[in-house]
Amino acid sequence: MMDLSGARQGLLRGFRGLVAGAMARDLRAFVIPGEDIANARGLDLDAAGLIRAVTPRHANVLLIAGPLPTALADAASVVWAQMPRPRCILALGEVDLGPLPTADVTAEMSQAGLISGLEDLRKLLRNGAFAPDITEFDAPALSERIEYTCPMHPEVVSDEPGKCPKCGMFLVERRVSGAASHGHEGHEGHEGHEGHEGHEGHEGHEKSSTGSTQAEKAHHHADAVTSAEASTSYVCPMHPEVTSDTPGSCPKCGMDLVPQAEAGEHAHQGHHAHHGHGHHAKPASEPTGPYTCPMHPEVTSETPGSCPKCGMDLVPQAEAGGHAHSGHGSHKHHAHTPAQEGQGGHAAHGAHGQQDAHSEHHGHAGHGAAPDIPGIEPHFMSMVELTEGKPVSPDGLVMEWIDAPFGPFFPGLPSGLHMVLTLDGDSVAGAEIRGMEAAALPSGVALEDFAASLADAVPLSPVAMRELACRAAEAATGQTAPKDVLTARAAAVERERIASHLNWLAGLARQAGLAPLGRRAAAMEHRVRTAKADEVAEQATSITSLLHVALNRSLMGPKLTGIGTLQGASEGPVARAAGHASDARHGDGVYDELGFEPITQDEGDAMARLRQRCAEIAQSLDLIAEAGAIAIPVMPRAKGDGHGMATLETPRGPATLHLTLKGGMVSSTHLTTPFAALAAHVPDLIKQMELADALTAIASLDLDPWSASQ
Amino acid sequence: MSIAMILLALAVGCYAVAVLESWAVHGRLSLTRPATSALALLGREQIMPRTPDRLFFESGPVLLLVAGLLSVAVIPLAPGLIITDLAIGALFLNAALAYVLVALIMAGWGPNGAYGMIGGWRFLGQFIAYAMLIVMPITAVAMRAESLSTTQIVLSQAALWNVAYQPIGFVLFVIAAMGVAWLPPIDLPTGGGDLAGGVEAEYTGARLAVLRLARLVIIVALASATVTFYLGGWLGPWLPGWVWTALKTLAVAAGMLALGSRLPRLREAKYLELSWKLGITLALANIFLVGVIALVVPI
Repeated sequence: MMDLSGARQGLLRGFRGLVAGAMARDLRAFVIPGEDIANARGLDLDAAGLIRAVTPRHANVLLIAGPLPTALADAASVVWAQMPRPRCILALGEVDLGPLPTADVTAEMSQAGLISGLEDLRKLLRNGAFAPDITEFDAPALSERIEYTCPMHPEVVSDEPGKCPKCGMFLVERRVSGAASHGHEGHEGHEGHEGHEGHEGHEGHEKSSTGSTQAEKAHHHADAVTSAEASTSYVCPMHPEVTSDTPGSCPKCGMDLVPQAEAGEHAHQGHHAHHGHGHHAKPASEPTGPYTCPMHPEVTSETPGSCPKCGMDLVPQAEAGGHAHSGHGSHKHHAHTPAQEGQGGHAAHGAHGQQDAHSEHHGHAGHGAAPDIPGIEPHFMSMVELTEGKPVSPDGLVMEWIDAPFGPFFPGLPSGLHMVLTLDGDSVAGAEIRGMEAAALPSGVALEDFAASLADAVPLSPVAMRELACRAAEAATGQTAPKDVLTARAAAVERERIASHLNWLAGLARQAGLAPLGRRAAAMEHRVRTAKADEVAEQATSITSLLHVALNRSLMGPKLTGIGTLQGASEGPVARAAGHASDARHGDGVYDELGFEPITQDEGDAMARLRQRCAEIAQSLDLIAEAGAIAIPVMPRAKGDGHGMATLETPRGPATLHLTLKGGMVSSTHLTTPFAALAAHVPDLIKQMELADALTAIASLDLDPWSASQ
Repeated sequence: MSIAMILLALAVGCYAVAVLESWAVHGRLSLTRPATSALALLGREQIMPRTPDRLFFESGPVLLLVAGLLSVAVIPLAPGLIITDLAIGALFLNAALAYVLVALIMAGWGPNGAYGMIGGWRFLGQFIAYAMLIVMPITAVAMRAESLSTTQIVLSQAALWNVAYQPIGFVLFVIAAMGVAWLPPIDLPTGGGDLAGGVEAEYTGARLAVLRLARLVIIVALASATVTFYLGGWLGPWLPGWVWTALKTLAVAAGMLALGSRLPRLREAKYLELSWKLGITLALANIFLVGVIALVVPI
């Protein structure tokens, strides 16, 4: 029996055997690239009894539903790294998994393949959920890692928190990219589990201790100190006036004295700021008053001791007074400007200033110069100072802003759509769409191969793509199909429109928490996608009743009305929902004969889009009934050279394909889809919306990033 | 003895609610699923986020469980079958439920991730929306019973259950209870579609099991509180009192879950607007009406 790639360390016996049995029955899948693609590729996850997890953290199966572009395979490796062990991979179809480990089970891309694959996975989990030896996995996309460094001694770097061997201060964390840039290994144990929302995952992953390397490092530093000893006197890094002929600790702050030469070196390393403390040096006062930390004036104590924040010895308050106003830049928040950094320099602080956005909230914001106000205790930081330099929302509130990645596998977004939202609290202050790099269309291939790869590249509407290629090829070769064939092909596109809109409805329902409606819509999509014309007609009643349910669901109106109103779209269902009767089918001879007239709504919001798509489904049912037969487009035989162009109203709007033939082969192509134009509206559309509303608005657009940038 | 029996009843109740919830969410009725899921969760790795607030991360789920257990302590299963029959039982329930907020914020903040944090904040933002609608209907219930003791409250409904006596309060209380237990359609702290698990998103393994268990306890506590305050507690013909309490509690929980799977997730703004403008007004009207009825009609 093959081992499970994501087994958990341990022996499989006793209670673990019971647990493994339970795991085999409790499969929870995180679907990649997403449920919409899985549906479109003909997988009925509900029928297979597969429970889906909304986050990789809750999943034990990574279901790869068909081929992935490279960028998504990289993102999938991050998802894999996030999943808790025992975990396993089920890959359907011919998939290049990129950096992921080899799939535990591979099966053909079909419902039968899915069911048999799940059965095999269950057997594997039952027997291999725990293994004595496990293989570590490092997602290459996770180049970032955390290390700890001393604020005073940037050369002190450790993998784990602790104290600086030189001065005893607590090490502070910082993020670095790339593998061990300091020439020290010891990351074998880390899985660097990056959060799929971008905040990096976890340590403590049954990892081997990195203690030995740390000790080794400490040793190196000790060497450095020793070698310098011979020639020098010793000085306190914080108090240059404290010198001694022998090593020891500073009588003022308790830090280890360092050789003079080294202390001087620090001055060049950007510790100028700390000379500030030197200037404030006062005649050594007797420790009579309350004690405080030289770095953290808010820390006070009646007795000597060390600072709970940085570990430095506390000093008498009188002495620290000078330091309190010296204006240290904040320790960890990214918004600080050089002006806030107090007395310039502070290179060490600058280095860890570039914190990941998510750790900001731990940061204590700038210890700015707090003016002494009567009645307010010294060092009191007003909200104004706390939030100084931070962005201001339109409502006047000042808050930390977070950049949170959403996608490319976010359950509430179209799969493959990768966004970074700047969140101001829970409203969206800014949005950026990271483009998806779709597979390049082949050239120098036969027409039939070209149509197949175009259909594969746009999995949400493969029939429309095939029809588009077919029309462009016909235009290039000057051939025309008989009228009844053209009508049957149009019916195939309409059938796909029904399926595509139902798939969209299923996604919207899932996002809104309407699980039963989502299941119903997905099941209907499966029944329609490959149905014959008479079978579609049989389903018409139940489709209509499903649409009725969707439109009249209680609270659906309040959920969608007024959300994501977009008047600027020029094409597709989104434009038609806003009253622009733009439809490539209008004026197309085939559709004219079927009696096609564009449908429009007025409001242009998410509710209007729901009504629009429901109306289009009903319209497509009528068109198919009128056409009477459905035929998948067959590519014409190509001879010689030519150039052809065709435009087709896909379920998401008009797509245009330019096609050049040379010697009967496709030599160059250019595809334009509605995605780019629609996606360009998104940042403005969702600005200042509440997060859930913003995601609803995006979902209502029905973006298809797979059709991007061909 | 009664403590053991109530804890046993609570365990059975939690399991039943888990079965119902998995039915509502996954569309399949399976009597064994909660058991296998729990076992599987125990076997999964517990992942510690890389830069957690460890204290909050670890203690959030536990505090949530404690809050749930505390609130169950004042719910009578039958006459005399109660963990502690406090004279201020109804108030104690409120106090215990207050920790749900604290625990959820801790659990959201702890992992240091955007989704969890926003989930916790959302719950904090809704505080008035659900807390007022828990407290104000209870006020009217206590007015009728002339006592805050949960046992006295049940006994006060001997002639007429509160669901008929003060239906407005009942509706408000159930909606607020769904808010406290973040049940759909008010599952804003965990919303699958917009927060990918939210507060739960970073928990794995046994910690997630504790979090899920705690939520089940809270659902059972709130459903049984609804029964105590509005559906006559153990009162009912033929069957023993505890059976009535159990049946009514399950019915309330099933009703809440069924409602949740049929409604789209409420928008935060809409929820707050409805609760503040409409809910609190109705709750005040309810208190007034109950006061008038209590003075005029001797039931």
